[in-house]
Amino acid sequence: MATIAQPQPQTIARPAVTTRSTGLWSWLTTVDHKRIGILYGVTAFLYLLIGGLEAMVMRVQLAAPENDLISQNRYNEFFTMHGTTMIFLAIMPLSSAFFNYVVPLQIGARDVAFPRLNAFSYWVFVAGGLILSLSWLANAAPNQGWYGYAPLTERLSGAAGTYGIERNVDFWALGLQVLGVSSVAASLNFVITILNMRAPGVTLMRMPIFCWSTLITSILIVLAFPAITVALILLSMDRFAGTHFYIPSIWDGTNLILTGGDPLLWQHLFWVFGHPEVYILILPAFGIVSEIIPVFSRKPLFGYAVMVYAIAAIAFLGFGVWVHHMFVTGLGPTPNAVFSASTMLIAIPTGVKIFNWVGTMWGGQIKFTTPMLFAVGLVSQFTIGGISGVMHASPPIDTHHNDTYFVIAHFHYVLFGGSIFALLAGIYYWFPKITGKLMDERLGKIHFWVTFVGFNVTFFPMHFLGLEGMPRRYASYAAGSGWGFWNLIVSSGSFVLGASFLIFLYNVAKSLQHGKPAGNDPWDAATLEWSIPSPPPVYNFREIPIVRHRDPLWEEKYGHAGGEGHQAEESLDISIAGKTISVGEVPDEDPTEQAERRLDAGDTHDIHMPNASFYPLVAGLGLFLSMMGLIFSYPRLPIGALDLPMLTLAGLVTFLVGIYGWSFEPAS
Amino acid sequence: MAQAVQAGQASGAGHDAGHGHADHPPTSLGLDHRKLLMWAFLASDCVFFASLIATFMLYRNRSQQLGEGPFPSELLDIPFTSVSAGVLLLSSFTMVLAVGSLGRNNIRATRIWLAATSFLGVVFLSGQYFEFTEFYHEGLSLQTNMFGASFFTLTGLHGTHVAIGVLWLLTLLFVSLRGGLSEKDAINVEIAGLYWHFVDIVWIIIFTLVYLIPYQDAPSGEGEQETEAFVRLWHLLPFV
Ligand code: HEM
Ligand SMILES: [Cu+2]
Repeated sequence: MATIAQPQPQTIARPAVTTRSTGLWSWLTTVDHKRIGILYGVTAFLYLLIGGLEAMVMRVQLAAPENDLISQNRYNEFFTMHGTTMIFLAIMPLSSAFFNYVVPLQIGARDVAFPRLNAFSYWVFVAGGLILSLSWLANAAPNQGWYGYAPLTERLSGAAGTYGIERNVDFWALGLQVLGVSSVAASLNFVITILNMRAPGVTLMRMPIFCWSTLITSILIVLAFPAITVALILLSMDRFAGTHFYIPSIWDGTNLILTGGDPLLWQHLFWVFGHPEVYILILPAFGIVSEIIPVFSRKPLFGYAVMVYAIAAIAFLGFGVWVHHMFVTGLGPTPNAVFSASTMLIAIPTGVKIFNWVGTMWGGQIKFTTPMLFAVGLVSQFTIGGISGVMHASPPIDTHHNDTYFVIAHFHYVLFGGSIFALLAGIYYWFPKITGKLMDERLGKIHFWVTFVGFNVTFFPMHFLGLEGMPRRYASYAAGSGWGFWNLIVSSGSFVLGASFLIFLYNVAKSLQHGKPAGNDPWDAATLEWSIPSPPPVYNFREIPIVRHRDPLWEEKYGHAGGEGHQAEESLDISIAGKTISVGEVPDEDPTEQAERRLDAGDTHDIHMPNASFYPLVAGLGLFLSMMGLIFSYPRLPIGALDLPMLTLAGLVTFLVGIYGWSFEPAS
Repeated sequence: MAQAVQAGQASGAGHDAGHGHADHPPTSLGLDHRKLLMWAFLASDCVFFASLIATFMLYRNRSQQLGEGPFPSELLDIPFTSVSAGVLLLSSFTMVLAVGSLGRNNIRATRIWLAATSFLGVVFLSGQYFEFTEFYHEGLSLQTNMFGASFFTLTGLHGTHVAIGVLWLLTLLFVSLRGGLSEKDAINVEIAGLYWHFVDIVWIIIFTLVYLIPYQDAPSGEGEQETEAFVRLWHLLPFV
């Protein structure tokens, strides 16, 4: 017995479309989760390329000892912008692109809970990205590291002169602040969407695992970002209002005066956010591969429930390990021991996930398509990063690793070998759904192998360099250090990685033009998004589906006995609107009949889609203007008659106009 | 055989539940989207205030340790702030009445209670304004010492929350005066109420930690005596 609605021929009934659906204006005002997902994806990928170019400049600089391609300050700017771009402007929004596009489809919804809030999140993300990027044009790119350690971020003056007077750090602090608004708004939206908009029968424990990872990542964002918000407010107070939250002493021209401020407060607030942040970066990746591996192993996910608990455990423990970033700051043996233990503990649920992926593949009929290659790539490469992570979970070992290339190797294995591999896997996997075209498999496989080789040549030797003591964040190293050889290898690897992205872009361009039509379900997949046309219609589902199984599409195509682990779930009840009804009571009607009946009744307005709105864009613009005004208020930059504090005010007014316009316009 | 029901999903129009379509579709948890959103936001705001309060607690006695006045015990006027804290608590009561009257479709009463709540909010904010200027005249500014920095930041950001709440309530009042508020919009007032109560509760915590719990003595022996400090706990009584 089948459980989900068959895709309906679109001729039966069309929703009343009130707004134009093409053209620039339609994209600027869209509230459609699929379009917003595409916007997120394209913008974030652009930033991924920019961040990659920044990295390659650094690698050219380090290819030979005592190189002087760029100045030390430029180098500082490059590594700061590289890290900040990759984390906040590439990986997080790329994950967001998938949340947006895929989650409503997987839970059988027509949009997210708050479509305009969703558009707002995107425009605010653009605003934050612009603020950060414009720093290059002002020749004042942030130069203090993505972790922004105080007091490097402060305006200081000392016997040797002044430091940090320029606005480099302001671009960073206020840009991140804006990005935080975007992330929290988007995450609140996803928490509500997933909790509250599931189609009948999609119980929490029947949700695709990607929805679980989205839910838990969103909860992490909601609970972790306020810490950095506060950290950045305090930093901005220090820089604009003359407080000394992170400055222990000031120089009055002749004497050092103790202020009582504490630079370690920054580190605590930052890493209380920062460690959950690394899980914000990896959990969506875990979700993506947990979708892909079962499909291409032709088996349901091994240990679904345990996977869910593992994600939850990782997220929970993630709030209690931040001091492992501060082992060498001298907090003392007790905090170090406690946080060392909690850090090692977190490796357990992480290991569980690795074993479950292996268990899913075990005995399956594995098909090594491109998405599967990247997914398996994650399983192998992330594990290496996990192992080096557990190594420096031990304070004595970390004392050796800290601030060396070993840490760089660690986090690139988890971030590139983990997050980026999975995001690429996700693009290959959902590209057919999004565009209706298949990607070129042969190019895809070449892309994978070039990436895989380039990645390992680039990052594996960094372990050696780190253990030999090569420090991170340095623009150069001595000829006699003996580090020249591996650095040259690393730099050449980075060019292979660069090339891999060209192959990918070529594949995307080619497939967009000449890709074969994908059909609804090119991978013979298990989840709801594959039950509807590719690309999906604006309203996603002609009829809201009813779901009685964890893998609804397989259940429909192959019945309960479709494979091991496919226990009959007939006894599970369906919950509609918070009320549980037994399966027998669900109206059992042929969808075609039902639709025809409705057509007879002249009912073509049964699908209410939200109206387009440009107020989210206005509100985002307001935030952008007010922050730019603040950044240029000190040191004051008088541009003709344009007084910049006025710009802040104008920005705030614009923001309020956006918010009020939005509250008072009808949503649908 | 396939099945489908039109067990409606909010067709993305969550934000407007209750505005137009009375037949607004049910949600998975049976809770309104916006109410859930407010709860999730408040969870986030908890961490926001927790971080600020942790910062305040770190620097609470710093100025006394360094001997940089003016010291908190010379500045804080507990009876005054107790009164304004009482005003804020009272406003939670009027807020409950506003929500209740709209539930009973008593629009006139709703307007009165919304106005009363915003008025009490404004009284609280004026009290804060008075207190801030008072402290400033006694020599405490953001730059003076760590107490000044952390005190103004913490209470100032709380005050900002109150101000946003007042703006929100006044907007609701405005909407209701133009006839745009009825029983079916009760949820709009209810979530404003949730926010308002939260901001109140945070103030109780801030009031306790900033005003009531005694400070370490300054090195010169300034500051209050231990017994006197103990007596301060009585100020908590009206709120238990
Ligand atoms: C098994 C799980 C993991 C463990 C035990 C672990 C442990 C650690 C430790 C102890 C450090 C501090 C090293 C130092 O600075 O001396 C560190 C740094 C780092 N980790 Fe991990 N980690 C794990 C997983 C991850 C994941 C999943 C990510 C991101 C996706 C990640 C990203 C990072 C980053 C970005 C840094 C460097 C931060 C900086 O100083 O700039 N880690 N990790
Ligand atoms: Cu960490």
